[in-house]
Amino acid sequence: MSDALDRVVDRIRDVRGELAPLLEEARLARLARSEVPGADSSAVCAWNHFENIPTFFNWNNRPR
Amino acid sequence: MATVNGMRGVSRVPAYVVMQPTTLCNLDCVYCYLPLRAQDRRMPVEVARAVAADANVWAARDRFSVVWHGGEPLAAGREHLGALMAPFGPAVEQHVQTNATLLDDAWCEFFAARGVRVSVSVDGPEDLNGQRVSRAGRPAYARIVQGIAALRRHGQSFAALCVVGDPRPGVASRLYEYFLELGCDTLGVNIEEREGVNERANAHDPAAVRAFWSELVAAWRADPRIHVRELEWSLRYVGAVLDGTSGDLLPRELDPIPTVGHDGAVVLLSPELAGFHDPVHGDFSSGNVLQAPLSELLVAPRRTSWVPEFLAGVEACRETCPYFGFCGGGHAANRYFEHGRFDGTETEHCRNSKIHLLEGVLDHVRRP
Ligand code: SF4
Repeated sequence: MSDALDRVVDRIRDVRGELAPLLEEARLARLARSEVPGADSSAVCAWNHFENIPTFFNWNNRPR
Repeated sequence: MATVNGMRGVSRVPAYVVMQPTTLCNLDCVYCYLPLRAQDRRMPVEVARAVAADANVWAARDRFSVVWHGGEPLAAGREHLGALMAPFGPAVEQHVQTNATLLDDAWCEFFAARGVRVSVSVDGPEDLNGQRVSRAGRPAYARIVQGIAALRRHGQSFAALCVVGDPRPGVASRLYEYFLELGCDTLGVNIEEREGVNERANAHDPAAVRAFWSELVAAWRADPRIHVRELEWSLRYVGAVLDGTSGDLLPRELDPIPTVGHDGAVVLLSPELAGFHDPVHGDFSSGNVLQAPLSELLVAPRRTSWVPEFLAGVEACRETCPYFGFCGGGHAANRYFEHGRFDGTETEHCRNSKIHLLEGVLDHVRRP
């Protein structure tokens, strides 16, 4: 079972090299959107606090 | 395997509360889950006052938001919505989720004066928007676009929620281009779900759904101006896996997300359950803010036999699902409306919106 549970994580690690540029682009895009500490003028604000994005744009355990 | 932490039990303090200023909606979208949307039952100001008594305390300690949902919150009218908002202090962030059809200059001024953050519901270009119709069954698209034009005229930034009824390749890139053009700064993409009074089947071809998400990544990458909720979370998760920190990514406890109905009744975790009745679980409500403070209802939730059943389902997900660290265990309403109970694991919803999403992102980077 534990193998099965690790399956997804292993497959993500297998494409580490391919994911790296995508993750870097996402980081730069966040900077460009001013999703940095203190920036709270957008519709959802302060994106760096992922768990604390209020309302429906929170990812986990959110209504729609 | 590394333990995935988080999502253990329900927090006693919410990060936000969903409020129903009226049950009424001026639209009659084909997929809507709200049972009372043809009736205008308005929230009395006493209900807002009761919620604000706790919300103002929570907001003094941490970020706290109120989301005016519905029904269509703008159908309550400016005067009444303003009276409902008034008891909340300036530290409370106020949000409105609207179908946009009633938005005009006066509403934009109302929002600007109160610092209200706006999110609109729109499903894409006209031909993809056919499910959003008036009570007479006529397309609402022209009125939605007019409302959004008012927001833009006023320089009001806004988010958008989009429901995708038919996720397949070709749709994602069109949608992303559309939302770039529309000018939203944030986008949430919901694959249509079977819940509430919407009983339409939501099984889709897995390959098509994966290809949809994969295409969305490609479209977003070409111009990543919009914060796309699904992609941000996917990338954050894969980044944490690569850093070895994914076991601690999920929030420590579930947020109770109280939904306060027009009459003051409180339903935890899933607004979609408000207004429904189950032979075992009753009306799913944890009590009423007119009878006890919200903070008390969250500490000693009454009549909520379904919450422990849901938490058992979250634990079952943790034990059995390789996507748990990404997903966090899915939503109560999806389990209930798909399985008839809360302690199951996989649903069509989690396959479409979690599993195929993550796989679609991986497909994107693996593509030749
Ligand atoms: S993907 Fe589905 S089965 Fe897996 S944790 Fe999420 S809700 Fe549970």
